[in-house]
Amino acid sequence: MSDFQEALLFERLKHHLPTQAALKDFVHHNPLHSFQEMEFFKAIFSASKIFGIKPTFSMNEYRRLHQAGRIDSEVIERIIRQEKGGDDVDAWQEKLLRRGYPHVYEPKVGRLRSRWNAELKCSLEDRVQPLLFRIICSYLDQGISLWPFPFEDQGVVEAVRKIEKNSFASFFRSKRARKLLLDGEASMQDLLKIVVGREELYEQYLFDQQFSHKGWSGIINAIEDQPETLFYQKKIDLRGFIMLELLLEIDAIDQELGEGWKPLGERSGVIPEDYFEEIPLGEMEEVLKLWQLAFEWSYYDEVLAGVGYLNKLKRRPHDNQKSFQAVFCVDDRECSIRRYFEEVDPNCETYGAPGFFGVSIYFQPFGGKFFEKNCPVPITPKHVIQELEAKTPHGSVPFHDKHSHTFFRGLWCSLSLGLTSGARMILDLFRPTMRADIADAFAHMDINGKLHIECDDPEQKINGVQAGYTVPEMADVVEGILRGIGLISDFAEMVYIVAHGSSSANNPHHGAHDCGACSGRPGAPNARVFAHMANHPRVREILKGREIDIPESTHFLPAMHDTASDEIGYYDRIQLSEKGRENHKANLVNIEKALDLNAKERARRFASIDVNQDIRKIRRAIKKRSHSYFEPRPELGHGTNALCFIGARHRLKGLFLDRRAFLQSYDYQQDPEGEVLANVLAPLPGVCGGINLEYYFSRMDIEKMGAGTKLPHNVVGLIGVANSSDGDLRPGLPLQMIENHDPVRLLMLVEHRPEVVLRILKASPENCEWFSKGWLHLVVSSPDDGELYHFKDGGFQPYEPLAQVSTVDDITNTIHSHPKMRSNHILDATRENIPVHVYDGSSRKTELTK
Amino acid sequence: MELLISILVVAPILALLVGFCFSNHQEKPIFSSAITGVGVNFVVALTVLVLWLQGGMESVFVKGPVLYYAKETEFALSFFLDGYGLSYILLSTFLTGIIILFSRTYLHREKGFKRFFNILKFFYCGLMVLLLAGNLEILFVGWEIIGVTSFFLISFYRERYLPVKNAVKVVSLYRVADISMLLGIWVCHHYFGRSLNFGELNGLHNAQPHIMAHGFYEFFIPATFLLAAMVKSAQVPFSSWLPRAMEGPTTSSAIFYGSLSVHIGVFLLIRTSPLWEDNSAFRWLVGGVGLVTCFSTTLIGRVQSTIKTQIAYSSVAQIGLMFIEVAMGFYGFAIIHFVCNALFRSHQLLVSPSVLNYQIHNQFFHFSKPAGQGTAGLWNKVKLSCYSLGVQEFRLDRFMFQSFWRPLKKAGNFFTFLGTQNTYILALPPFLIGVYAAYHKAVVPESILKFLPEGFALVGLVFILKAFVERRSALNAWVLIVVNQLYQSLAFSFNEEFDMSQVYLYLSGISVSAFIGIWVLNRMRNNGEDISLAKFHGHSYEYPRLAFLFVFACLGLAGFPITPTFIGEDLMLGHIHENQFPLLILIVLNLIMDGLVIFRIYSRLFLGPHEKGYHETAYRSS
Repeated sequence: MSDFQEALLFERLKHHLPTQAALKDFVHHNPLHSFQEMEFFKAIFSASKIFGIKPTFSMNEYRRLHQAGRIDSEVIERIIRQEKGGDDVDAWQEKLLRRGYPHVYEPKVGRLRSRWNAELKCSLEDRVQPLLFRIICSYLDQGISLWPFPFEDQGVVEAVRKIEKNSFASFFRSKRARKLLLDGEASMQDLLKIVVGREELYEQYLFDQQFSHKGWSGIINAIEDQPETLFYQKKIDLRGFIMLELLLEIDAIDQELGEGWKPLGERSGVIPEDYFEEIPLGEMEEVLKLWQLAFEWSYYDEVLAGVGYLNKLKRRPHDNQKSFQAVFCVDDRECSIRRYFEEVDPNCETYGAPGFFGVSIYFQPFGGKFFEKNCPVPITPKHVIQELEAKTPHGSVPFHDKHSHTFFRGLWCSLSLGLTSGARMILDLFRPTMRADIADAFAHMDINGKLHIECDDPEQKINGVQAGYTVPEMADVVEGILRGIGLISDFAEMVYIVAHGSSSANNPHHGAHDCGACSGRPGAPNARVFAHMANHPRVREILKGREIDIPESTHFLPAMHDTASDEIGYYDRIQLSEKGRENHKANLVNIEKALDLNAKERARRFASIDVNQDIRKIRRAIKKRSHSYFEPRPELGHGTNALCFIGARHRLKGLFLDRRAFLQSYDYQQDPEGEVLANVLAPLPGVCGGINLEYYFSRMDIEKMGAGTKLPHNVVGLIGVANSSDGDLRPGLPLQMIENHDPVRLLMLVEHRPEVVLRILKASPENCEWFSKGWLHLVVSSPDDGELYHFKDGGFQPYEPLAQVSTVDDITNTIHSHPKMRSNHILDATRENIPVHVYDGSSRKTELTK
Repeated sequence: MELLISILVVAPILALLVGFCFSNHQEKPIFSSAITGVGVNFVVALTVLVLWLQGGMESVFVKGPVLYYAKETEFALSFFLDGYGLSYILLSTFLTGIIILFSRTYLHREKGFKRFFNILKFFYCGLMVLLLAGNLEILFVGWEIIGVTSFFLISFYRERYLPVKNAVKVVSLYRVADISMLLGIWVCHHYFGRSLNFGELNGLHNAQPHIMAHGFYEFFIPATFLLAAMVKSAQVPFSSWLPRAMEGPTTSSAIFYGSLSVHIGVFLLIRTSPLWEDNSAFRWLVGGVGLVTCFSTTLIGRVQSTIKTQIAYSSVAQIGLMFIEVAMGFYGFAIIHFVCNALFRSHQLLVSPSVLNYQIHNQFFHFSKPAGQGTAGLWNKVKLSCYSLGVQEFRLDRFMFQSFWRPLKKAGNFFTFLGTQNTYILALPPFLIGVYAAYHKAVVPESILKFLPEGFALVGLVFILKAFVERRSALNAWVLIVVNQLYQSLAFSFNEEFDMSQVYLYLSGISVSAFIGIWVLNRMRNNGEDISLAKFHGHSYEYPRLAFLFVFACLGLAGFPITPTFIGEDLMLGHIHENQFPLLILIVLNLIMDGLVIFRIYSRLFLGPHEKGYHETAYRSS
């Protein structure tokens, strides 16, 4: 095999491995990113045949969803007509509803290597993996073990070789493998030659080998590509890991068969196979595809019917005096809190923008030795924001002290802390309080800490990045956001910039609950920096020249919403003027009321909370969840996310979406040519689509694409979780996060003229592929005629909703009388999601002008 | 006091029975029944504590009804309570309560919610029986319950491969401990000539007149209990099972393997201490085991890079120290140490998922790169050797495989030349002759009769070894176990102390279990399911009820104390004489193998990844 071929092989392998980095940097992404160049259904069914994943529900589950009314018969018929033409509708319906299809489960990956098991009469994996995982885990460990792996800066093979050379004990049991390692001359190909023998099988074998533990291979792949994901950096590459595994395999096989064995490829009956050759899809896949489409469109159709209905009402935003404005993250969890803001105070206005607010920074807390990235993953920040002082000390928890695991300290700890821990367990059960080992969103940055935001000298760099922003840079950031959300005039006196984070206890996946646009961290630093910029007199001066006139009386106040405990904390209140303080105080009453209502709406999904009790009790119960060690569901994350609306907020007012929509504010009227829209649209498929697809696949196959239930999870090396001491890492989302999720692809709904959107898509083929290949759906709501257009086959076609719009007067009653799920099986779970309603509360009636 | 003590045992049993009545989604009643049972016990235990303190801290013995009586053995339901037992009871009730409260929310909507609570309650029952046991037989009942519940908790996620594999691994070791206990009971019967009450246990005195080799018994009797304690408390060389047992939900790991189950060896040693207290050489042995464990598990613990295994090893190191304390005679201190360590490690395990957030945060503010490791000089070489050995857990896991499973496999494979049909054909005639001869002993010449028990036990062993390596059909393996049991009873029948009623007692449980098992297996086969033993099938996904039924058959066949078989087993063992060591060893091997084969059949058929793959199944390595 030439070097070129080997490089290609590695590229392919790395392309397919999971890319989830260390858990502290949890970022949502499409788990099937390697198939994204294919059409969605072709991709998922190919992945299924190759890796054995379950990419859709089973036939039976779809049929039962249909019987339960979750999939609509009319939608099925329409889907069949659309996909299969109008000729055989009955025949296809018969196939969908009744025909039996035998299920065959034969994943391709793993076939070749599994032959070893028959040859050895025992499992090669059982022999190799436990030790391999132990070595690699100790090597990458960030601080669980008391003795760090020696020579961690030299690559795993070299480190093992050095230990081997200088110790009286050996990792190996047979002579040959040890000699191969110590000689140091064998290349990966030499080892493959011994184990596999035939070159044409190498790729296949390595896929089998690496995908038998895709968790570990994936994290090594991720660390190789972004070493900064580990604070304690280790030199590691996939090649070294593979070599180590091959050496251990040789060792294990030598022990069973002696040294004279034939390579796997030279044994009889081994035929090379291309795992990735094109796979023809059978009728069963076709039928499953139609079912999934019907499942998705049964929901979208309800949404679109509602949107169409409201479009027809031709509503205008009221032009009362604005009490305050608040800019939130696009996050679907902010969907309901915004609804309540507007309900409690009809004169306020809310906006949605990606939660880093255009501020792409590294953040360095006071005393921190590293930078934290607080912006979307694809962006490499050019600025660092440093915290200059912080007053709140970080507590310590002796129960997590490493030294309690040594012998003498362990004796001392257990004798001195033993009875204390008995008391602690009782307290934690009955009176949970925030402790230092709980991920506290507000502890990420000291609430009174000072930030270094304005750059004094652009030449001065820290680790190659500029400390703070210069004024012109600030103006650009502020302009970008304000134009994007369409807030360039009519400023209220108070504009809240509300970031979000999430507190949770005993939760290694806490990063998955924080702000995705801030690389899985609370977004408070970004909100503070943005507010500072927007309050800056010289920035306002520049903006004035660009036709954004922010009156002097307007103040931007940074805040953060804890989506688990439903609290909002405010920063830099000290900068408020006397009047501003009063203004804020008046708003606080309304905001707290909105938080009450939001907490109550969220509480309907939590079995431990009685929704009918006093609102203060509900708030307390909600807060308690965020710092209870025994609570595996502090909040439900992005579960149920299904929509992304890009347009003016007032368009959707009165449409109840049950916290399922990402809401990005955008005003088409200020942007007839769509230049701003192109910028606004650019990051959304990656961020929202990544979240949506991660939930989709984790929901469809919680075991192979998700992390399984989190209850047995064991924290491994501070970089990931595994189920047991001998087990593989588990990337993906845990079961407790996806239970309420209906796996539908994200529907993007853009408010603009179809031809403008089409032009933008054509200009950015990369973004266009998300839609043209079917990984996301796109519908445009045209402001001219109020009609809806669905993006299909490279163009827009009018969409006529089938569903009747359900209207209610009192949406609160609908929310709280809705049944809870009995089990987390999709048939039960989907019932907990409230269908789309148009509601017509008294506060809204005044706005409806026909 | 008597009443209170019986409540301590009865309340958890009632709670368990009530718990069976609900279905999985009725989380509230399942939880309430559990917490009520444990809550009642907690109040009762506190009352007992007060009474006990008032009564001058005297130990209490409650003679219960005699379940079975024969010449020199009686099987009485009696209880014994002293300070050590009471501390353990209070702690376990407290911790079980905490874990139940914690799990109520933690396990919400889990597929095995009901199963978890039932296992936990059953475990607690077993613990109460063990801690209150008035004699070795009752203690053994509790001991067995704890072993079996361990198996079910480790394999709680039964649809994945590793939990099932590890559960079988752990339970096989437990089987060794169980049989070691049985041996201990047997040898005590012989030594004292009657069943021992803990109330009157005061050392190895009053031996039967025919006991000659005192020096031997002084070691042999306590050694059986020490071995059992070492296995259960994960002392070297058995330590490697403990981290592998951390497969269930975090809460179950916290209570089982962080605290209550793993410290039981210390309790057993204290309970049986009168048998070895005067033997200073044996005390050195106990202390030595502890010391070796302290040393090696501390080293292993230092290099553990996953949080739960680290807690496991550091806990074992402390238990090693408790062994030393017990050897030195500081029982009181050992119990205090146990209480503190159990609470501390349980808590550490419960909050172990937080370690990621906490330590990363720490690292963020305080990280300094460790100094590089040198290679020169002897000290560095020793350090690196320790590192390498520690990462490999001193090869203990491999050692267990090589020295335990592999020889058995090899022995079994030695008989592959016997085909299935041949085996049956060969098995039948000797058996029939044997049965005939058992009833008409006069026809057999004396010289042959002498060797017949050993002979039949040996033949039985061949069958069970064959069952152990059987890969094609579970039914075959099952029948082979039954054949083995029949041969064992034949062996007993020819032993001179022949009492047919005891054999009937033994066979009564076995026959029922055997038939249930055969019925279940036949039913599966007729449904077209694969019942080979070559791999895990995970049939419990489709046949949860049959799986549940089969568990009972397995427990019955394995002599688990739910059928009279257990008493029969105990009695028949009692008829082996101290000069019949070959027979004893054969029978012990038979019993160990029975257990292994039965657990193997159950887990291969009903546990593991479901082979049909029409729903989500986990990767083998996850």
